[in-house]
Amino acid sequence: MGIDIQKLGVAYGDHRVIDGLSLKIEPGSFFTLLGPSGCGKTTLLRTIAGFIDAAAGRILFGDKDVTGLPAHRRDIGMVFQDYALFPDKTVNDNVAYGLRARGQDGATIRRKVGEALERVGLGHLGQRHPAALSGGQRQRVALARALVIQPTVLLMDEPLSNLDAKLRVQVRDTITELQREAGITTVFVTHDQEEALAMSDRIGVMKSGRLEQVGTPSEIYRDSVSSYVADFVGAANTVEIDAPGAAQGMVTVGLGGHSISARVPAPLAGSRAVLIARPEDIALSPQGTGGANCVQGTVSRRQYLGGKTHYLIGIGADVALAVETHGDGHDRYMPGADVDLSFDPMKTLVLAS
Amino acid sequence: MSRGIGNRTVWWWISLAAMVVMVVFLLYPLLTILTGSLGGGDRNGWAQLLADPRYLEAVRNTLVLAAAVTSLSVCLGVPLAYLASRYEFPGKSALALLPLIALVIPEVIAAQTWLMLVGNNGVVTRALRSVDIILPSFYGWPGLIVSLTFTYYAYVYISTLAAIRGFDVQLEEAARSLGTSPVRSRLKVLVPVIMPSVMAGALLVFTMVMGNFGTSSILGGKVRLLSVMTYQAAVAEGGADPVMQSTLASVAVGLIVIVLFLQRWILSRGRYQVVQGRNARPVPLSGRQGWLIGGAAGAVVIVSLMPLIMLVTGAFTVSRGPVMRWGEWTLANFERLLLTNPTPILNTLIYSAVATLIGIGISTLVSYMIVKKKNLFTPALDYLSTLPLALSGTAIGIGLAMSFNSGWLHLTGTGAIVVLAYVIRRLPFSMRSASSTLYNIPDSIEEASISLGVAPVPSFFKVVLPLMVPAIASAMVLTWAVTVSELSASIIVYSGGRETMPIQIYKLIDSNLMAQASAMGVLLLAVILVPIFVATKLFRVELFSSR
Repeated sequence: MGIDIQKLGVAYGDHRVIDGLSLKIEPGSFFTLLGPSGCGKTTLLRTIAGFIDAAAGRILFGDKDVTGLPAHRRDIGMVFQDYALFPDKTVNDNVAYGLRARGQDGATIRRKVGEALERVGLGHLGQRHPAALSGGQRQRVALARALVIQPTVLLMDEPLSNLDAKLRVQVRDTITELQREAGITTVFVTHDQEEALAMSDRIGVMKSGRLEQVGTPSEIYRDSVSSYVADFVGAANTVEIDAPGAAQGMVTVGLGGHSISARVPAPLAGSRAVLIARPEDIALSPQGTGGANCVQGTVSRRQYLGGKTHYLIGIGADVALAVETHGDGHDRYMPGADVDLSFDPMKTLVLAS
Repeated sequence: MSRGIGNRTVWWWISLAAMVVMVVFLLYPLLTILTGSLGGGDRNGWAQLLADPRYLEAVRNTLVLAAAVTSLSVCLGVPLAYLASRYEFPGKSALALLPLIALVIPEVIAAQTWLMLVGNNGVVTRALRSVDIILPSFYGWPGLIVSLTFTYYAYVYISTLAAIRGFDVQLEEAARSLGTSPVRSRLKVLVPVIMPSVMAGALLVFTMVMGNFGTSSILGGKVRLLSVMTYQAAVAEGGADPVMQSTLASVAVGLIVIVLFLQRWILSRGRYQVVQGRNARPVPLSGRQGWLIGGAAGAVVIVSLMPLIMLVTGAFTVSRGPVMRWGEWTLANFERLLLTNPTPILNTLIYSAVATLIGIGISTLVSYMIVKKKNLFTPALDYLSTLPLALSGTAIGIGLAMSFNSGWLHLTGTGAIVVLAYVIRRLPFSMRSASSTLYNIPDSIEEASISLGVAPVPSFFKVVLPLMVPAIASAMVLTWAVTVSELSASIIVYSGGRETMPIQIYKLIDSNLMAQASAMGVLLLAVILVPIFVATKLFRVELFSSR
């Protein structure tokens, strides 16, 4: 079942934290709410869950209006950042909890619990208490507990952020796999852009209670609608420039005394704009070989990282761009070297500042 | 945070109900006291208070006594806590008994046993008299100060010990690495950090001495004290003085409120959050130093334990009226208590059991709402439930007696009013014990249960309550222990046939029947200790985990 959020408003006291937010999430899809802390993503998730009352607007699961429904009757599965396992109950009893609440019979519960734990690779740990499990195992139990009740929607609140880097990738893969398998509409909250890009069908980037941009991972990354999104999703060079008139499409802008072509995806407003170019989209070549659409610069810092090299390159007096190079000879420019920086006009965006 | 539409109503109604209960049984009696002081026709209580030098003397004496006992308690408690946390010495384990002594030995019993030792007819007094040494009378200032100090210093000890244990030695080492000498680093770094805890313990002692009734009344002699005069105004034979009793109770409330505000002010200025680091490893002391320190600490512990030894001895000693025949043993004292008039024992058991259950039930629910289900009422509930701390037992007793003497809820003469006094007097205590683990239970546990389809209130019972059980169990045992020994409020509200064990002990001491009083004291200790023993040994309840 899909989720349809219509003109949602949420307030803490008199303070509106979400105002007039609308969002449609396709049935069976994996949707990520991405943003820095305090952007309202967790509030939105908890409002979908029913833990926070909506002050305005409606939330629909499929065709069913759940706005007035208390959390325990929304038929959700929820996974928490701190796992929220019941510490006094065994793994089996934790996973069986929701099934028991639904009044299923003992044999069915045992079978489903066994299957659910098998699926997360913990079939042998059913008798343990949560305290005897590692962080990764705990989150797998929490996932099994949320999925075993076959909820209408699965809601996850930063489920990976308490895990260390290696486990994070493992549990991430488990989540993605199980979600595809079960086909449950999922809303996933994170502040980690890599997680968001890797796992999601679609991403909503949030900023102070609003959805700044909603799209597929590559749309978010490639066609960021604002410097906020571009900067938050992956590294991006952002340079303040004079706006190239009100034109849309391909334009020519000035950068460090040179002119380059860039793309304007959305109408601009005001006299200033921001030029966005990702480090890996800028090509380096020896001075004078850059061809069309390039500017001259001087390497000021070089960081060799094995498969790639990071450069910081000064253009003129007050612009410095980060550039990342791969492939043959990617590390050959030394500090002080003069280089050409070539821009791909399609991947170089001019956005409203 | 969880404000689902479905659960708002339930918790909202429960907190409203709790609010009504608190207003009726706590706020209303308090207001009755305060307004009562303004009665009395053209000369209200305050005018009478200012006109009569006896009352002002009582206020002054009370403050002097509280200050003296507090200073002595700090002088005993702080060094003892420092020794206990930083050194190993022979007999150190006996120090572990101190918190138990503080909570367990009812102060009436302590006062009584001091009398049996050094009172006019005491063992020591008579022994010295036989070699022509005449001790000064123990009644009055000497008795009050000595007895109350040994009753209350353990509170300073406990809070200081916790602070020193929580103190990170690395701070001390950092100070030393920066070039200060060991002794100076300690003074410069340790003292400011533990100061708030020492102050907290000291102010607790100060308020407890101000509110103290049992010891003050038994040992006070000619020294006029506020709590005793209040009591006398309330229960004086040949007509109590309702205006004066409420005026004096108001004064007591006012004084404690001032002290508590002072405490908050001091604490707010000097609250240091010490990040838990490495604890100091106790340094073993041996040889002469070890024995010296061990001996000093041991002496304090022995004096603290003296009431117990005296009590047990007295309980089994033959007596005729007030005369104790030391060295002759008997069980007659117990026989008389158990066979001829077992009512006080039964009363204590029943009232305390009911009060503990009600108190723990209310505290569990209210502290849960205060911590986890904040709403319009919870800040007020939070304040109201700590309000009894600002009320002496005598004031609570007078408030209840005045409020429920007649009218729509007539409780005077029933056991219910004793139970009520118990519940209210011990509410802050049971609240603190019950809420101690709540902060460690994440909200997400309950939300997980709700998300799995269990409604909020059943979720509380299924997943939150089981996690609170250890705290509730220890709160119950501790609340029971402090409830059965309650005297100052119950002695005002009880009526004939409703005597409790502490009241009976007080009466027996008053009639100078020390042997019977001791026997009752031993029974009272049994009533206190048996549940503690059963809980800690059989059910492995950890009583002081939250300290």
